Amino acid sequence: MSQETREAILLRPKLSRTEQGARFFFLACAFVALGQMVLIMLFLLGEAGGLFKTANFFDFLFSTEWYPTYEPPEFGAAALIVGSLAVTFFSSLLAAPIGLGLAVFLACLAGKSREWIKPAVELMAGVPSVVLGFLGLVVLAPFMVDVLGLPTGLNVLNASLILALMAIPSIASLGEDALSATPRQIQDASYALGATRWETIWRVTMPASMSGLSTAVILGLGRALGETLVVLMVAGGAAQIPGSLFDSVRPLTATLAAEMGETAIGSPHYHALFALGVVLFFLTLGFNLLAHYLGQKWRSR
Amino acid sequence: MVDEGPIISVKNVDFYYGSFQALKNISLDMRAKEVTALIGPSGCGKSTFLKLLNRMNDFVPGARLSGEILVSGQSIYGPDSDPVSIRRLVGMVFQRPNPFPKSIYDNICYGPRLVGTRKKADLDLVVEKALRAAALWDDVKDKLGKSALDLSGGQQQRVCIARALALSPEILLMDEPTSALDPIATAKVEEWIQESGMSIVIVTHNMQQAGRVSDHTAFFYMGELIEFGATMDIFTRPREERTENYITGRFG
Repeated sequence: MSQETREAILLRPKLSRTEQGARFFFLACAFVALGQMVLIMLFLLGEAGGLFKTANFFDFLFSTEWYPTYEPPEFGAAALIVGSLAVTFFSSLLAAPIGLGLAVFLACLAGKSREWIKPAVELMAGVPSVVLGFLGLVVLAPFMVDVLGLPTGLNVLNASLILALMAIPSIASLGEDALSATPRQIQDASYALGATRWETIWRVTMPASMSGLSTAVILGLGRALGETLVVLMVAGGAAQIPGSLFDSVRPLTATLAAEMGETAIGSPHYHALFALGVVLFFLTLGFNLLAHYLGQKWRSR
Repeated sequence: MVDEGPIISVKNVDFYYGSFQALKNISLDMRAKEVTALIGPSGCGKSTFLKLLNRMNDFVPGARLSGEILVSGQSIYGPDSDPVSIRRLVGMVFQRPNPFPKSIYDNICYGPRLVGTRKKADLDLVVEKALRAAALWDDVKDKLGKSALDLSGGQQQRVCIARALALSPEILLMDEPTSALDPIATAKVEEWIQESGMSIVIVTHNMQQAGRVSDHTAFFYMGELIEFGATMDIFTRPREERTENYITGRFG
């Protein structure tokens, strides 16, 4: 073999022009995503920072007085934060078990009927939130007033129910993927040891897919936390710490959506709304990190 | 044992996957405390036959069986037979080690817990006994809480054996239990089979393995049982030409 051919072979791993181009393209895509993220964060933080020239950071987080149009205005976000967390929490109480139950049904029990139930579930995930909000507004709210005798049907319960309706399909769909990824061999092992179908699901399939299932729930919750239109329509809009399920609340997202159009750019109120955006951003980030952490934690076992 | 009848008795079994007939008119008796090897080329029906013995083919859509299979005198495909209790009586070890992603201890306890053993002291006893029986106790006694997935392939397979033994089955089915193992691990599993004194049915691709571990051998070909007899006879003076051709490596 001549020196030249030997060198040619050794040099072959060098990327061709097309491959270099492709690599550059995908790298650029990755940086666009990353860049967006960084720019959004800088923008949010920059605009929010303006608030703290006039207001105290501690008051912003822990005061429940949200009176942005009073003179002087008060920007206490605690009630709004609690409002967001309340509807997210109560919707999760409903959405997590039902969503996971649906996932188990689809992955382990449905058999042939899966072929039409799964598309139906995915279709449900695609229903626009305004339609669901409308449902809460014109069906659920009057129903609660009539049957439960409440002064208003626009409250934590109503918002939680509608948000749960939204989160269930996402949880079910992601959860089903996780359950279906469980190796067939370990399910066979369970059956061969005399486990029933239910015992196999409960003791093998679900524990083995715990990382995916927890991710499914948390991402479903993240969706409920970030949902705007539904809570704007049916949560009632009162900036207060709710004392019961039947009290109205004003979640962060609803506040932003309702007030941003009414605000003079550069005013303290404008900056306060951005500060709410930052809070929302970090809450969502927290949920995603938690999902990631749980995913890793269960996977490594 | 008072009962000297066969521990497994298969009578005129035909088995279908949909319209495909996987097994044709199989009849044979297996004796207790013996190792029976099932050999034959890929697709001959030996694994299918093995899985009939603990009803693991129930999960295959379109599976259909005619004929009768008796385990300890009980019909396991009868109208009131229960696959769950059959599988407790007839344990199984699979082709690839398939421990649960749990600790060694929890793997072994899986079966006993299903039948309601809850007390720690009882479970400890079962775990030690099963691991000793699978010749794994000395290797793992100090790390029972560790994940079974951290063990070597051979050790994982012995965890699976111990897991099956923890239910004290009367029969153990082994579906090519060493095909995913290295030679040393294979030797350990084979040694275990020889010394276990259990009723074992083992499917193997490896003729030498069948020769080493089994008392009786059944040769399957194209869904038929061609020959069944003492392993010594099958390997030294087979009655059928196809058996001889297969074991001498002319096909398969």
